[in-house]
Amino acid sequence: MAIEQLKECWQTKINTVTIGATAEQGGSRLHTVTVGGQTGLPFLSAEAEIPYKPQIAFEIWDILPLDWPEDLMRVYGGCLANPLEWAEKCVEDFNAGLLCIRLQGAHPENENRTPEQEAHFIQQLLRQIKVPIIILGCGDDEKDNAVLCACAEAAKGERCLIGSASSNNYKTLVASCIADGHNVIAQSPIDINIAKQLNILITDIGLSADRIVMDPTVGALGYGLEYAYSIMERARLAAFSGDKMMAMPFICMIGQEAWRSKEARASQQDFPTWGEATARGIIWEATTAVSFLQAGADILVMRHPQAIEKVRQYIELFNI
Amino acid sequence: MEKFKVTFLPDQKTIEVEPDYTILQAALSAGISLNATCGGDGVCGRCKVILRKGKVVSRPTALLTPEEKKQAVYLACQTVIASDIEVEIPLETRLDEGFIEKIVLPSQLKGLPLEAEEIVLPQRQLPEVSLEDRPLVWKLYLKLNPPDKNNTTADVERLINATRKITNSNSVQISLQNIRGIASLLRDAQWQVTLGLTSCGQNLEILNIEPKDTTQRNFGFVFDIGTTTITGQLIDIAKKQVLGTKAVYNRQAVFGADVISRIIFAEKNDGLEKLYEAVVSCLNDIIRQLAVEHKIDLNDVFSAVCTGNTTMIHLLLRINPYYIRRQPYVPTVQFVPPLRVTEVGLRLNPRAMVFFVPGISSYVGGDVTSGVLATALDKQDTLGLLIDVGTNGEVALGNKDFLIATSASAGPAFEGSGVRSGMHSSQGAIQRFCLNRNAQIYFDTIGNTLPRGICGSGYIDVLAEFLRWGIIERDGRFKLLCNPHIRDNNGEKEYVIVSSDKTAVEKDIVICESDIENIKRAKAAIYAATSILLKKMSFSFKDLKKIFIAGGFGTSLDIRNAITIGLLPDLPVEVFEFVGNTAIAGASAMLLSQRQFERAKRIAENMAYLELSDEPIYMDEYMAALFFPHTDLERFPSFGH
Repeated sequence: MAIEQLKECWQTKINTVTIGATAEQGGSRLHTVTVGGQTGLPFLSAEAEIPYKPQIAFEIWDILPLDWPEDLMRVYGGCLANPLEWAEKCVEDFNAGLLCIRLQGAHPENENRTPEQEAHFIQQLLRQIKVPIIILGCGDDEKDNAVLCACAEAAKGERCLIGSASSNNYKTLVASCIADGHNVIAQSPIDINIAKQLNILITDIGLSADRIVMDPTVGALGYGLEYAYSIMERARLAAFSGDKMMAMPFICMIGQEAWRSKEARASQQDFPTWGEATARGIIWEATTAVSFLQAGADILVMRHPQAIEKVRQYIELFNI
Repeated sequence: MEKFKVTFLPDQKTIEVEPDYTILQAALSAGISLNATCGGDGVCGRCKVILRKGKVVSRPTALLTPEEKKQAVYLACQTVIASDIEVEIPLETRLDEGFIEKIVLPSQLKGLPLEAEEIVLPQRQLPEVSLEDRPLVWKLYLKLNPPDKNNTTADVERLINATRKITNSNSVQISLQNIRGIASLLRDAQWQVTLGLTSCGQNLEILNIEPKDTTQRNFGFVFDIGTTTITGQLIDIAKKQVLGTKAVYNRQAVFGADVISRIIFAEKNDGLEKLYEAVVSCLNDIIRQLAVEHKIDLNDVFSAVCTGNTTMIHLLLRINPYYIRRQPYVPTVQFVPPLRVTEVGLRLNPRAMVFFVPGISSYVGGDVTSGVLATALDKQDTLGLLIDVGTNGEVALGNKDFLIATSASAGPAFEGSGVRSGMHSSQGAIQRFCLNRNAQIYFDTIGNTLPRGICGSGYIDVLAEFLRWGIIERDGRFKLLCNPHIRDNNGEKEYVIVSSDKTAVEKDIVICESDIENIKRAKAAIYAATSILLKKMSFSFKDLKKIFIAGGFGTSLDIRNAITIGLLPDLPVEVFEFVGNTAIAGASAMLLSQRQFERAKRIAENMAYLELSDEPIYMDEYMAALFFPHTDLERFPSFGH
C-alpha cells in the first residue's frame, strides 16, 4: 500500500515583488525579475506552490573594489575599473539577469562622489544595460539619503530595488521609492522583531508591502550562518502562519560575506593543506549561497561567476 | 483629668500625657523613637533615659547598675510618669535615623520626592464586616466585678474568665508583663479596662490592657511594599474609616532599581542591614506623618498589615533573600506568622502586632493575594484576570475553581520613576491628557492644582494621543515633522507638555524618547506575561469576561488609551475595570476582618505559579510587543479606528 504523503498547508503566501519595468510598463528593461509568491518552505515543491525561482544578482561596484581578493578580481579581467564594462561583461559573458550596483564611490572615505555624479552613472548604466538592477548605497546614512534619492529620481519608472532602509534611517529612502516607483530593501540586524517593525514602519509611510524585500543580514559559512539561517526560517514560518508583515521575500548579501572570510581569501602558500585558493573561494561562496537558499532566500547577491554558475545548477537540479 | 508635661532633651520636645503613661509611651506619642527591642517588656534594658527633673514611679529592674541608678538612669518602659518631668535621651538609646539624610539618589531617580506624599487612590468603600467577624486586633471593654470576700478569684483569672465568657474562646493567653502590671492597673481603673485582643488560631491573646473604655481608639496601618513605591494607609478600625494614604519612593532604590539587584546588594557586607534600614525608615516616615496629620497617638495603633512582593517582605524582615534568585527560586518564607511590632521595627504601640499577607512564590507576593481578595477573583463564576501594573508586573488568572499567577519585570515607568517628568499619583500629577487637531493640549491634574509632573495614567494618555495624532511612530520615536513642541535636548528629542511658567515645579514638564522607550518596555513585559499565561492555560483573550487593572498609576485610567498603546488587550471596554491599588484595598480588608485574612491564606494556598523564565516563548512575545500597540496588528483590530 502506498504511504500517504502528509502535506503542510499554510495560510499565507509570500508577497511577489517584481524588479524592473519593460517599455510597456513605463521603463526600458528588456525583461523583469519576479520573486516570492511561494506558499511553502523551499524545496517542498510537492506540497507548496513555488511560482518563481530564486534569483542571483551579480554585484558590481562603481569604483574599483577595495577589499576583493585577487583571485576574485582576476576573473573579471581588466573591466573592473570601468563599471559600465563590468556590467556589460556580466550580462554578455556570464548571462546575468539581474545586477546589483553598489555605490561605494559615494562614501566620504572613498571618492566621496556627489549625488549628481552617481545619478549620472546610474542613467548611463540604464542606457547601456537592459537587465533590471538593484542599487545599494555606500553605508553612510547621511550620504546615502542624498545619493539614493538622486539615483531613484534618475531611474524613475525603471522599478529598481533600492537599499538599504534600516530602522534608524528609512524615511527619506522610502519616500523617494514611493515617489519614483521603486522597490525598497528593508535591512535588519539578524533580528526578526526589528525586521517586522521596520516593515510596519515602511508600510505606515505608504509603500505597499509588495514593494519590500527584507535583508536579514546574513553571515558566511563558518561566520554565524546558522544564526541568520534560523532567523530567516522563523520569519518564514511566521509569515506562512499568517503574519503578513513578515511575508516579504528575502535578499541575502552572499558575496559580501563569503569573500570576507579567511577561508575564501587565504592563499595556498599560507595554508598549504587548505587546497587551491581560487576553487576554495568559489566553493565557500557557493556553499553559503546554497545554505541560504534552503533558509528561504529569494535573491542572492553574489560575486564570483563560477560560484554563481554552481548555484544556478543547484537551483535547476532541485527544480525549485 | 490631670495631665503631665514631659519634656525630652536634647530635642526640647514637650508633650502632655495621661498620668499612667510610661516614658516609653510618652516618647512614642512625641514621635521620638527609643531603642526598645523587647517591646517594652523590661527585659532588653536598651531604653535607658536620664531623669533631669520631676517624679516617676519605677518598677524594680536588675538591668541597671547601682552606678546608673545613682545617676538617675531609668528604663523608659518600666517607669511611669508621676509629675511634669524632663528626660534626657542618651545617644545610644535613640534609634539612629540619620540614615535617611545620607542617601544619594541614582541619576535615574533624581528629583523624586523622598518624603512621604499624600496620594490619591480611586474612591472605594471599606467592606462591611459582619458582627461575628472581628478585626485582626480588636478591643474589648470589660467592667469586671471587684473581688470581695465571697469572690476571691485572682485578678488574671477574673479578667480571663470575663473575656472567655464574652468571646466564647476556649483559651486566652496573657504575657507575664501584662500579668505583672495587672493588679494596680485594675484597681486604679476601678475594674473597668479595655483589652487589645488578637486571635491566634483557637486561642485569644491579650496584647494590652488599658484603663477605661478606649474601644474607640483602635487604629491600624496597612502597607504595600513595592520595589519602587511604598504605600501606607492609616485606618480607624473602630469607625471602619480610611483616614489617609501616603506613598513614598522605596529608599532601597539607591541600592538597585529592581528586585534582582536588591538581592545582589543584600549579599554584600551590611547589605541586608542597609536595605532593612531603608525600607523600615520609609514605613516609619509614613506612620509618623499620617499620625501627626490625623492627630493619632501611636500608642493607639495595635496592628499593621504588610503586603508586597516576596523579596520586599524578606528584606523588611532581614531575611537573606539569597535563594530567591537561584534555581529553583525558593523563598525562605511565604506565610509569615504574625510578629511583634518591635521585632519588625515599626514605631507603633510596642505591643502591636504586624500581619503579613501570604505570598505565592518567589516572584509573586502577597500583593497579588491582596489583589485577588480585593477584586474577588477567587469568587468569580466566569474567567477573570487581574493585572497589577508595578515594577514587578503581576498577572493572576482564574475564577472560583482555579487560580494561577505569573510575574514579569516591567520596570518602574508606570509608577513615575525612570521617566523624566514622572511622579506618583499625588497632587499636581497630570493624570488625564488629550490633544486636539491643532496640537492644543488639555490635561487634568490630581487635585486640580498646577501640574508638577506626570503619573502613570497620564503617560498612557500622552502616548495614546501621540500615536493618534501621528506625533510618534509606532516604534515610539518622534516623527520629524516640524512640531513646535518638540525640541532637542542634548541630542535627545523631547516634547514639552507644559512649559515651566505654567507648572508648580519651575521646570518644563516634558516627555522624551527614552521615557517612551521605558514605558514601551514596561507595557510589553506586562502584555507578554498576560498573553503567555493565557496561552499556557489554553485560553485566549476572548475567553476573559472580566479584567481588573490594578496599580498605583492614577485615580482613573482611560482603558481605550491603555489598549491603544498595547498595555491591555483589544477587548470591549466593558470587560475592564480599573481598581487602583488592590494591594492596599485587600490588606485593609484583612486588617478589619479575620475572615478576610483567613481567605487570603486560602487564596495563597490555592494559587498556582507560572515561572516565565522557564518559558522559551517569553522573549519572543516580549520582543513582539515592543511596538505600539504591537507588531502583530491583528491582535489590535481597533487600532487606528
